[in-house]
Amino acid sequence: MSDIVLPLELIDKCIGSKIWILLTTDQEFVGKLVGFDDFVNVVLEDVEEYEGDKLISKRPKMLINSRQLAMLVPSGERTSSATKQLD
Amino acid sequence: MSSTSNFLAEMTNSPVVVKLQHGLEYHGVLASIDGYMNVVLKDTVEMVENNKVRNYEEVFLRGNNVLYISQK
Repeated sequence: MSDIVLPLELIDKCIGSKIWILLTTDQEFVGKLVGFDDFVNVVLEDVEEYEGDKLISKRPKMLINSRQLAMLVPSGERTSSATKQLD
Repeated sequence: MSSTSNFLAEMTNSPVVVKLQHGLEYHGVLASIDGYMNVVLKDTVEMVENNKVRNYEEVFLRGNNVLYISQK
């Protein structure tokens, strides 16, 4: 029983380490996870913001609205999108 | 206090960037914010694709449009 990892437990384990966040749009964020709340609004530190594969801004700290949040990837190494690789 | 509300508390009265889902950015001083991410900014510049388009002495942004709020 105890080896079941609940979804938010996984994210909780990522606090303090790098995480990669994908939105429902082509926007992505990479940064250190500071924390999150019950809606999975997310606070990141040392954030890089990507649009497609283009780095568009860097911010020291940021709160991302959960509304468009699609996927969180622990260990944070950003890879090119699958569609890009298929081109 | 959760880390998200903690973040907002430490951000009030400091310069922030608020980005909306449609890409507009508002650079200003965070006057106040609530749990819906409704935001009031002061001395705000509206940016479209990194170009200044308008200034607002004070502006309210409805939370449902907010993509992120970040430290400037």
